[in-house]
Amino acid sequence: MEVVVALTLRNNAEKRRAYWSFVTPAFFLYLLVFAFPIVISILLSLSDYNGGKMFGGTPWSIIGFQQYSKLFVDPSFWLALKNNVYIVLISVFGQLPLGFILAYIIYRKIVKWGEGWQAVLYVPAIISVIVLGIMWKLVFASNGLIADIENHLLATSFSNGLGSILAGAGGFHITDGVVQQILKISDPQVIASFANPVQDLKDLILGGGYDAGHLDVFKTEMTNLLAPKWSPDFMSKQDVAMIPIMFVTLWCWTGMYLILFLANMQKIDSQIIEAARIDGANELQVMSRVIIPSLSGVLANAAILCIAGSLNTFALIWAMTAGGPMNITQVLAIYMYQNAFIGAPNFPLANAISMAIVVFSLLLIALTMYVEKKFGGKEE
Amino acid sequence: MKKLAFVVGLLALIIAGATAQDKVPVKFLYYADATQAGYAEDMANWDKFKAANPGIDLQMEILVNQPYHQKLSAYISAGQIPDIMTVWPTTRDSSALLQGQKLLKDLKKVLPADLLSKFSASALDVKQQTSGQISELPQSFTYTTTVYANAGLLKSLGLKVPTNYAELKALVPKLKVKGIQTLLLPDADKWPAQSCLFSTISGRLLGDEFIDAVKAHKAKFTDKSFVGALAFYQQLYTDGVIDKADVNLGYGDGPGIFASGKAALFVDGDWRVGAYLTDKSTGKALIDPAAQKDFELVNFPAIPGEKNKNSASAIAGVGLGINKDLTGAKLEAAKKVLEFYYSKETMTMKWETGAFVPARTDLSSTKLEPLAVKLPAYYKTVVKTTYVLDGALDPSVFNILNDGLQAIGLGVKTPADVAAEMQKAQDALK
Amino acid sequence: MSDSPRQIKANPLWGFLGKTAAYIVMGVFAFMTIYPIIWLCINSFKTTPDYMLDKVGLPPTWVLANYVGAWTIGSFDKLIGNSILYTLAGAAGIIFFSVLAGFGFAKIRSRATAPIYGTFVIGILLSITSLMVPIFLEISQIDRLLGDLVQNLGWGKTTDFHLFYNTQFGMILIYIGSGLPIAVYLCTEYIKSIPDSLVEAARIDGAGYFRIFWRIVLPMAAPIATTVAIITVPNIWNEFALINIVVSDNNLKSLPLGIMRFNGTMSTDYGKQFAALVIGLAPMLIFYIAFRKQITNGVAGGAVKG
Repeated sequence: MEVVVALTLRNNAEKRRAYWSFVTPAFFLYLLVFAFPIVISILLSLSDYNGGKMFGGTPWSIIGFQQYSKLFVDPSFWLALKNNVYIVLISVFGQLPLGFILAYIIYRKIVKWGEGWQAVLYVPAIISVIVLGIMWKLVFASNGLIADIENHLLATSFSNGLGSILAGAGGFHITDGVVQQILKISDPQVIASFANPVQDLKDLILGGGYDAGHLDVFKTEMTNLLAPKWSPDFMSKQDVAMIPIMFVTLWCWTGMYLILFLANMQKIDSQIIEAARIDGANELQVMSRVIIPSLSGVLANAAILCIAGSLNTFALIWAMTAGGPMNITQVLAIYMYQNAFIGAPNFPLANAISMAIVVFSLLLIALTMYVEKKFGGKEE
Repeated sequence: MKKLAFVVGLLALIIAGATAQDKVPVKFLYYADATQAGYAEDMANWDKFKAANPGIDLQMEILVNQPYHQKLSAYISAGQIPDIMTVWPTTRDSSALLQGQKLLKDLKKVLPADLLSKFSASALDVKQQTSGQISELPQSFTYTTTVYANAGLLKSLGLKVPTNYAELKALVPKLKVKGIQTLLLPDADKWPAQSCLFSTISGRLLGDEFIDAVKAHKAKFTDKSFVGALAFYQQLYTDGVIDKADVNLGYGDGPGIFASGKAALFVDGDWRVGAYLTDKSTGKALIDPAAQKDFELVNFPAIPGEKNKNSASAIAGVGLGINKDLTGAKLEAAKKVLEFYYSKETMTMKWETGAFVPARTDLSSTKLEPLAVKLPAYYKTVVKTTYVLDGALDPSVFNILNDGLQAIGLGVKTPADVAAEMQKAQDALK
Repeated sequence: MSDSPRQIKANPLWGFLGKTAAYIVMGVFAFMTIYPIIWLCINSFKTTPDYMLDKVGLPPTWVLANYVGAWTIGSFDKLIGNSILYTLAGAAGIIFFSVLAGFGFAKIRSRATAPIYGTFVIGILLSITSLMVPIFLEISQIDRLLGDLVQNLGWGKTTDFHLFYNTQFGMILIYIGSGLPIAVYLCTEYIKSIPDSLVEAARIDGAGYFRIFWRIVLPMAAPIATTVAIITVPNIWNEFALINIVVSDNNLKSLPLGIMRFNGTMSTDYGKQFAALVIGLAPMLIFYIAFRKQITNGVAGGAVKG
């Protein structure tokens, strides 16, 4: 009996030693990097620190939750939060399902060359955001790819319209009626810049030295002047401007979840799947009855990572739009950055925002874990 | 096991760190843009300094853009301000604290008088710096409004460079039929519209007195005069002088569009000249030196109702500043560094590489490209300089102005709205 | 009876649509990935003026000057070595310590687990941006304290002692520390799924915990270690905000900082910036393509459980 007790005691001591020697290094390093900064961050968010030397300079003091109450009524904050929610939605309901489905498709060999697809789909996550930002501007800017294509289409249609108007008028006969018809298909903005549209345009055409022999020159120049221009208006509308950003976010990170899910799917005993197939299950049923339950823990993990990542998202959006134009694509992390480093620093506010991010993350994660407990299956 | 490794590592580093230092160490946080003209020459120049001054251990940390401001912010918070650093005259990012809390030496008391006397009066104007003293010696006096005109292109179309607004407006349809923009102003970055154009508009129509009055609570942005200035800015868009699409155009895209003849006029600061000059490493220039003669640098055309004719917004440029707490050998070393930087040779080199037009008045050079030569000539045509609004106003106010100008350009806000928002922010400052 | 399983065909139309949809989605994503990289490479051979005049076409003249210029100005030879060091040491450290801690959390009962592990989880939610300045404050204070200690102990006269700030050692420690939350979380969850019976059996055989870790747990954790590596390696390789704060000596900087040098305010020398970006991207791509098989195999290696 004593031997057993002695052994158990020795066992326990050894266990404790092992536990602490295993956990301490990681914990120590983690505290080294985060502990002091977190405490300072919280303190700053409650203080009236105004920049300048933090320790040893003009003393600052804790003044309470003023910054938080300021945030509560700050429209920029709520806008940033709303944008963040969009990102969270596309991440949790976009990246995860898409990553999962694609992983499943590759795992079940429904498409060929799974290995290659895996690699290619993951690459966006390793490309520096600077490149992504440049590409973004190239595509969406008002002189970018989409604009070029759109304007080309609009110009061609205007030119054709002009041609048919002239044909209808029997050649190069410029009457008020013809001018009015031209104005009908023209860019409203250009019309607005004329004091007297019909007269001014008529004078312009008649005085411009155009003639029937050089209709193509006439057409080109009129198109330049009057054709409607596509402008990326959606980029300046709240909410709508977030859509392209959401799309890029989806493209960027889905690959990572794909790999995560695929890795865990490959741990599943393939016999079970074959058994299910023999029993007559189709792919959809295999996915929902076999795979998803086994992976529910992984899914929950991934959701947590996803939420944390999307609430903290900064670099990608900063590189693409810097939160603009007019701050309509701003997210919390950018709002925080602007208060910390742009113009005169307002560290208390910046840190309050950062604490707000943590609080929201915790809320969402608690929600996720609740859902997982309720609907999750058993893992082996 | 791990503990042992830690201690060994600690010892090793202590031994490594315990080397004695004979040289005077000077920590220099230098803002240098590797993409700007003259970067390589600049670095070579500093090597010359190091070689000529073996007694000084010049520890240069070279950063640009965000990393620079973040690092300096961190230094300031930790109370470890570098010995020498690049400083803006006003509350631009990291300099906000340096100027606002007077963390730098007054260079008037540090640098020799005969060096200072070589600099233009406007550069030495203490009113240009938020701290009210010469916290940094401006290396240039920057005219934030410069209209680059493709005179050759205009001439080929039978047109000429406009001198008043009516002429400017008349150009619009004539250029548009050829597929050419009239006035290019890329404003995706928000500040160009305010810094490079609106500041001049405000200066012309209202003068600096108005801004001073607003800050003294004797006038308001919502007064008709200021709203009128914003309305004129709006008119530039509704008249088609500036293309609405340019509000979303990136700042870096401007020179290319202008140089390729897709815009007849381009408004930006005087620093933009560098973008067109020859890049020594590739030997290529955006506008070939031979073609540069067909371009002109002019002031913004006369605005109807302007109080100040031919004025332009300008502000002291950046410069080096010295940590307030330096004394003894370190201070002497720092002085040497600044004297070297502001010397005739270095300033001339900067001028010739297109980095900036120095504020030093006693320089001459034969190596300037035609376009660079046109700058001083342009300066002479400016009768009076006025405030650059992001130097005169508080960030909480001019940030609203920046956003507001974008909104006006896109047509989503009215001048009255923007003025009201600005005034609200101004009122919140006490 | 486990002879070759028969595949029961699903509804052929649905299957076909599903396959096509999958190919389309993956194809679009793949195109969005590959095209920018090709575009970047092509444009890195254009001079900046040529680029400004034509953003999309092929270079009228192909120049190497961008690479030469970027490499020399950015001193990329030093930077690449540093980046490799930080990434490898950082990733190795993260994996080792997180599997170790994960083993402790998952397999050894202790009341301390809940609070400590919880602290790690909270760490996942924090973004480094808000903590940059406090981290700088902290390490400069630590260094100052250590420096005073050294002077008081008489081990040497130093005016400028640092163990953490501006050293490779410090940078690696900080990278490890900042990567631990996610890694510890993933490892702990994963190790929980290793059967207790394995550990018990080894204990009964008289093995010490560290031996169990080294011989059993660590090899079995290869899949999750690979996952952690996949997440961590690009994160450290592309990281620039933290290292900018912690390091000022040019000889210790990493590749992203060199690339950021070309991201100017007033103008952008696109040519050199693109060259710098390609130089930064290439090692990552090479690593990923070369080790692709190892990665997928390492991940699949965990498929068979004991």
